[in-house]
Amino acid sequence: MSYIEVKDLVFAYDEGEKVFDGFNLAIEKGTYTAVLGRNGSGKSTLAKLLCGILQPVSGSVCVGGLSTADEEQLYKLRRSCGMIFQNPDNQIVASVVEEDVAFAPENLGVPSAEIRKIVDEALSLVGMTEYAKHSTYKLSGGQKQRVAIAGVLAMRPQCIIFDEATAMLDPSGRRDITATMKRLNKENGITVINITHYMNEAAEADRIVALDGGKILLDGTPEEVFSEGETLRRAKLATPQITELCDALRECGMPLKKGILHTMQAADAIENYVKGL
Amino acid sequence: MLKDITLGQFFPGNSLLHRTDPRFKILILLAFLVGVIAAKSVYSFALILTVTVLLTALSRLSPKTVLKNLKPLIFILIFTGILNVFLYKGDNILVDWHFIHIYREGLIYAAFMMLRLACLVTGSFVVLTYTTSPLDISDALESLLKPLKLIRLPVHEFAMMMTIALRFIPTLVEETDKIMSAQKARGADMESGGLRKRIAALVPILVPLFVSSFRRADELAEAMECRCYHGGEGRTKMKQMKSRFADWAFFAVMLIICVSVFFINRFGVRI
Repeated sequence: MSYIEVKDLVFAYDEGEKVFDGFNLAIEKGTYTAVLGRNGSGKSTLAKLLCGILQPVSGSVCVGGLSTADEEQLYKLRRSCGMIFQNPDNQIVASVVEEDVAFAPENLGVPSAEIRKIVDEALSLVGMTEYAKHSTYKLSGGQKQRVAIAGVLAMRPQCIIFDEATAMLDPSGRRDITATMKRLNKENGITVINITHYMNEAAEADRIVALDGGKILLDGTPEEVFSEGETLRRAKLATPQITELCDALRECGMPLKKGILHTMQAADAIENYVKGL
Repeated sequence: MLKDITLGQFFPGNSLLHRTDPRFKILILLAFLVGVIAAKSVYSFALILTVTVLLTALSRLSPKTVLKNLKPLIFILIFTGILNVFLYKGDNILVDWHFIHIYREGLIYAAFMMLRLACLVTGSFVVLTYTTSPLDISDALESLLKPLKLIRLPVHEFAMMMTIALRFIPTLVEETDKIMSAQKARGADMESGGLRKRIAALVPILVPLFVSSFRRADELAEAMECRCYHGGEGRTKMKQMKSRFADWAFFAVMLIICVSVFFINRFGVRI
């Protein structure tokens, strides 16, 4: 069984149109998945369904073998699957960095001495140790988001869902958070699900799931997904700029391979072509 | 312009008062306040005044800072003084002109009343707000009010509300600033006109502020749920408040002072 299993999911907000109608998705443990989709494609709703904030109308959502419908196990599930929200201001509870990071273990009833250890560990994982005593309000957006990540890490989760966590950050903050995601996945083996509409960010993942109207439009490695430029554009999604450029060049007759994601890759491909002329 | 608003200014430090257990500080302050209000003779006032000065010295804050923060109170102090001068009735009349009667006792009483207020405020600031972080105060209140849980008062929820309110004050101040700028950019006029016009001009600021506060509250609740918040039950604290011998001793000294005020009240000129 996969770590996250969504089966025959049907979901609608009260009396609204169905967001999901027979949706299936499986995500393996320790993977780095990006979920793409334009506004209203159901990507944020999916995140809330995964950590049990929303309950499916029918079908099942299982995380780490626990069903979100099982209220007894809900805290156990939320502990293993944390979530980072879009607005860094609205998810920080305390006025001091370390107090905020301690919030989750305090809720879980961890003994005081151990909380201290967990908090220090979580802060060092996101590189915020020197800010432990700082006021949360004076931090930059990227730093606030790192504190939020530390707050989730303090639950020692197996999986973290980032719900457009970089949308309100400046480019340097965004790079910061993307790098943190990658590090947590590669070095600490945490399953990362990044819900985003930045194509460059999605290109960093091992797998991309593109949603459109509550259905999976494309599912595969970044190379595979971004090779389908036409399909993506029809769903009002874009490819990374460099992929778009290569697509345009290909249309003009330059035989470049599909699914080029990085600038250097493109440069090499073009260089090879030019040399071969 | 709204950035200067701070609630309960806290000056970090490492003085005896800073290190005292916040729960004890609240108790010490209560004993001190009872003493200040109970003081009725010249001698007990002298005692209270000495204690206030000692407390200020113990906080290691510069007297300048403490006095500076008393400034906004000058109006209230003077107002109290004037009221007492005119309204107090005694035996030795000094001024008797039409409806104005000023007695010697009135003057003395007014002076002591102002002194009492000044001691009251300085004491509370020095013991609590200047030397205790807001978070510690709310934690201490939660711990002290724990017995009230027996009569089903939501003590933990109250403390949580306080913590969150303190956390969001700067955020909301910043947001108010932003909304004001946005409305000014659309031609809103907030600086001219009479009182009524100015109050009316606040509506387009308050409405978006309320709407966004509710949205924030919603998101914060979701984020708290995701971090396994489920009320005060079974909750632990990272920082445990530990009372030391010094805290008990400090409290005992303040209690003795408070009791002796009642005793000394019997001697000396009564006011």
